[in-house]
Amino acid sequence: MEFTLLAAAAFALTGLYAMLWWEARHGNASRCSGNLFEVAITSAALGIFIGRLVAMILDGVNPVTHPADVLLVRAGVSTVGATLGAIAVFAWLSRRELVPMADGVAAAALAGLAGWHAGCIARDACLGTASDLPWAVAQEGSAITRHQVGLYAALLFGVAAVVIAVWKAYRWPGFGVPASAAIAAAGMIRLLTQAMQPSLDGGPVWFYALGVVVGVLGVVWFARARRIERQN
Amino acid sequence: MLSESADPVVLSVWASWCVPCRSEAPLLSKASRRYDGEVRMVGLNVRDSPSGAAAFISEFFPGATIEHLADSGGTIPIELGGSRGVPLTFFYDPGGELRFLHYGVIDERTLALQIDELVNG
Repeated sequence: MEFTLLAAAAFALTGLYAMLWWEARHGNASRCSGNLFEVAITSAALGIFIGRLVAMILDGVNPVTHPADVLLVRAGVSTVGATLGAIAVFAWLSRRELVPMADGVAAAALAGLAGWHAGCIARDACLGTASDLPWAVAQEGSAITRHQVGLYAALLFGVAAVVIAVWKAYRWPGFGVPASAAIAAAGMIRLLTQAMQPSLDGGPVWFYALGVVVGVLGVVWFARARRIERQN
Repeated sequence: MLSESADPVVLSVWASWCVPCRSEAPLLSKASRRYDGEVRMVGLNVRDSPSGAAAFISEFFPGATIEHLADSGGTIPIELGGSRGVPLTFFYDPGGELRFLHYGVIDERTLALQIDELVNG
């Protein structure tokens, strides 16, 4: 069963790489010298590892006495731990040019998340809460039709990735703005789709809301800094 | 027990020597608290020693409303249509009709979705 998670990871890598490939042909790489793909996948992989450790600790499984359990990704990864871990690793790897690197990977990270969520097709994990909408579907043997929340999230992340990539390529909004907009978009999309996700505890809604606030504040801050710089 | 239950039943097959069972135990505990009174959670301990099972329950199911049964021969899951491997999670409608069978470690999304099917189906 873990192989279906690897298939979803392959979808994510494809989204990430495809967006970086397109952006490299539209001036994305000119603003930073680091290898965006390597930094992004290293951050994502270590983020998942950190998220898994956090989930184990929160669930009362000691990672020191049960180290093999870290491989059981399906048993749970803390979204908060994984996200903060990935951001911390990314910040450390690109510390000399953090903002340009973050801008460089902003659209690709959203495309990677689109790929990850689209991977629900391979995992047979697209269905969410019950719905009567015309496109809702039921799982085999059931009469309850459900939101295809995995596909909703994939679509929204995909649209956000394309919007930010095109924005960067044809109307550069200034340093820090694409990265901040990507954080706000990711938080908003997770906030919108979380209510439709089957969950035992409702998920870390506060964290997604915090992401929206931090992202919007970042956009305002960097846009203002650019305006002041232009005036001077 | 399954045919006489008025509530839906989630039957988890586990063993203390099973590493993946250890990792899914917190999810089952969380589900037992979340759906207390709506779904009957049952743990079936297979091919295990009583002391190992008791230690596992006290370590990984504290405060969980899960009934635990023992099957030292490990034949019951096969008779129910499962396999010899663990973990397994069976989902039964009230009256004992098997609704869904999950092989291997179960994730939160699948557990929540299948319980929702039992409760609202």
